[in-house]
Amino acid sequence: MSAPIHRAHLPGGENATLEDLRNLSQRLLEALTRMVRLWYERLFGPTARDLLGRSLLLLFSITTSLVIVGIFILLWAESLPALSSLGLGIFGPVWDPNRNLFGIAVFITGTLWVSSFAILLAVPLGIGGALFLSEYCPERIRLPLRMILELMAAIPSIVYGLWALKTLVPALRNTFQPLVSYYSGFGVLAGAIILAVMLLPTVVAVSEDAMRMVPDTLREASYALGASRTETARRVVLSTALPGIGAAVLLSLGRAIGETMAVLMVTGNSLVFPVSIFDQTYVMTSVLANQLGYALADPLYRSALFSVALALLLVSVTFTTLGRMAIRWGMRRKGLRR
Amino acid sequence: MGNAEEGVETMKTGNALRKGRSWLRLPKSRREFLDRAAYVSLGFVAVLLTLPFFAIILDVIVKGLPGLTPTLIWESIRNLGREGGIRNAIVGSVELVVIASGVALPISIGAAVYTTEYSRQGRLHQIVEFTADVLAGVPSIVFGAFGYVFFVWLLRAFTGGATLLSGALTLSLMMIPTVLRTSQESLRAVPITLREASLALGATKWSTTWRVTIRACFPAIVTGILLAVARIAGETAPLIWTTGYNSDTPWSIFDAVASLPFTIFTFAMHPDPVVNAKAYAASIVLILIVLSVDVVANWVSRRVGILVRKG
Amino acid sequence: MEAKVEIKALNAWYGDFHVLKNINLQILPYTVTAVMGPSGCGKTTLIRILNRLCDLVPDFHMTGRVLVDRRDIFDPDVDVYQLRREVGFVFQKPNPFPMSIYDNVAYGPRTHGIHGETQFNKIVRRSLQQAALWDEVRHRLAEPAMKLSGGQQQRLCLARALAVEPVLLLMDEPVAFLDPISAQKIEELVMILKKRYTIIMVTHNVQQALRVSDWAAFLYLGELVEFGKTSSIAETPADPRTEAFLTGRFG
Repeated sequence: MSAPIHRAHLPGGENATLEDLRNLSQRLLEALTRMVRLWYERLFGPTARDLLGRSLLLLFSITTSLVIVGIFILLWAESLPALSSLGLGIFGPVWDPNRNLFGIAVFITGTLWVSSFAILLAVPLGIGGALFLSEYCPERIRLPLRMILELMAAIPSIVYGLWALKTLVPALRNTFQPLVSYYSGFGVLAGAIILAVMLLPTVVAVSEDAMRMVPDTLREASYALGASRTETARRVVLSTALPGIGAAVLLSLGRAIGETMAVLMVTGNSLVFPVSIFDQTYVMTSVLANQLGYALADPLYRSALFSVALALLLVSVTFTTLGRMAIRWGMRRKGLRR
Repeated sequence: MGNAEEGVETMKTGNALRKGRSWLRLPKSRREFLDRAAYVSLGFVAVLLTLPFFAIILDVIVKGLPGLTPTLIWESIRNLGREGGIRNAIVGSVELVVIASGVALPISIGAAVYTTEYSRQGRLHQIVEFTADVLAGVPSIVFGAFGYVFFVWLLRAFTGGATLLSGALTLSLMMIPTVLRTSQESLRAVPITLREASLALGATKWSTTWRVTIRACFPAIVTGILLAVARIAGETAPLIWTTGYNSDTPWSIFDAVASLPFTIFTFAMHPDPVVNAKAYAASIVLILIVLSVDVVANWVSRRVGILVRKG
Repeated sequence: MEAKVEIKALNAWYGDFHVLKNINLQILPYTVTAVMGPSGCGKTTLIRILNRLCDLVPDFHMTGRVLVDRRDIFDPDVDVYQLRREVGFVFQKPNPFPMSIYDNVAYGPRTHGIHGETQFNKIVRRSLQQAALWDEVRHRLAEPAMKLSGGQQQRLCLARALAVEPVLLLMDEPVAFLDPISAQKIEELVMILKKRYTIIMVTHNVQQALRVSDWAAFLYLGELVEFGKTSSIAETPADPRTEAFLTGRFG
């Protein structure tokens, strides 16, 4: 028998025995284990995993939103020196790093020339093609045609550039040199043509989608009134799909401005203000691709280049975002209301 | 109301049914003639649109096939392209894509999951969507410029300058919009009842998301990934200033790396016609790689029935 | 009185499906003829043949003759655009163009070569009056047609069809998507319009046919089961299938 325990402090009072002691310690142990388990669950259990995982995903979401912000901030910060020291002089006509002259007007003009001309070529042809696919084309020809367009969109721009450099430029030179004596084949025309070829798949695809969304019942109403297929296509389909087509144009403009490789290889990269499509030119994307690495040492040079990049970013992003929003807005307004 | 007023005589009864001129198959009226003319000219336009494709593909094949030898694939570049092959470029491109995907995929898919599963109505969802859309419109050279300053210069202690890592990180930024948007759309397409069934069985949201929802739309997400991969595999501009030059395969991600598109570019601009010819052969390789990824992507998406659009 | 429309031995197929079987029918001028029958019996196909909308369906082919004003509408010399002007069509679901009210009504005349604002104004006003819509919209003709209510849109579609001065008016369940009040308005219009036009109306609502039509044709599974004055058919249907339909045993 163990030493007598002060009975008054034990549960059960007078009748506490060893058994009671064991029971008590057992209960204490269980309570302790429960507490530990609870805390383990809180830290590592499914709810915790849920919380931790969710926080990680939140982090990822914030990161993706910050990318574009970071790009803007960095471009802005890099171009600040040039913008502040040159002011509006940044839009000057002369670009000569050797003499510390950084006027980017040449590049802006070049981009304007090449992109506008490319759009002028691509949009009418693209809409015409889309109209054919949507209103006239028999179904069994439509699918192969769409597939070819998708393949065209998949070809990397460097391949377009290669072909343009080695085949398109000599062809242009041979065709037009009799008429324009100084023409080498390089210049606005070559850039615009290859750019238009690259833009066509997008213009056709987006326009055709817009046209297909015009409900068939509208076409029927037009036919029932005695209109021909062409009249229906022009007056009902085209006019109803116009917002979508406009969006296609905006998108293409954004991509035209931002296209680099193909245009780089065939525009001649000459620091002149073009006065005709047979002139050579230097576009914004090309100067960045060509000169970025050489400007590392010279802060003003580099800064001026980044102001080009900033301008490029702002314009390109504006057009593509407007285009994308127009597509979504147009879908809601005309097509899917009934 | 009264009889037909002046000026509307053209709408007299019986015009249509009056016996017209019986020329066989010729347009019966000016309007039908215009209709047929429109059909023909638009058809002509449609065919015209496809011509550049055939012209370019045929040109590349004809000029590139002779140079497409095993040497080309197996050996690395030597003597600035005059000798050897493009193995360094092919391997380099693969490495770039793999590392870029490794960075971009978790982030993009994670963000997509969060915004569709946890924050579908919230502000963050709209912000993420909007920023992704804007990011999709950024020109490739701007990514290159950004990567040049950010990865090659600012973070040079981390990336080692113009290296495989810098190039891959730049490319990963370009992948984000595509993967994010297609993942979002795929997740949204999964019916709510599927999630509810899982939750009703006592699973947490986390495990429901990964074991049920994602599994349901997995092929669609894969399609989006493959499309993004095909796109960056063909990109040149972001790599010009971020990857440096390497005539062989890099041994670590902190080494410079060659890439297929950039190599094609240097070959194409080279004065030596022997080297130019290699550009065509390399183009065939690049096109094959990009197209096969696209074909696989199409096949995967068709198996699911959810068509994922590019661009 | 000579028939406005004569259908002789008409058989029609969609691919292999024999949708109309040996239809013989004569429609008198300035009457309202109801074409009735359960779903899928071919009634919509029948009226779509009358303005050659069936031409637009790739698998469609037919035998027999269809004469409007004693001329075969499938004669190769027929200008189908003119035909469609003279045979107007109102669809089941209102389908106004996403243009202004004015432009909707003016669409037909414009297609057929009418010029001049005065002309258009006259035509638009007259057509909208005939469709009992003029008073409601006269001050907002430039507003988009999509803003009108369902009943108003259908009346607009009616005005649009009337603007080209057809001689035959086809209506494919015109009130199917409308509320009872708008439906009633259109039915009243039909009764007024029959003084100037010959009207053929597809309906599956027996009560409506009784209210509105002079003659009734009952189609069942592509066959013309019965044709006669509405009142006589309603009281004493000759065929048990007609009776079953009239008493609502199938819809």
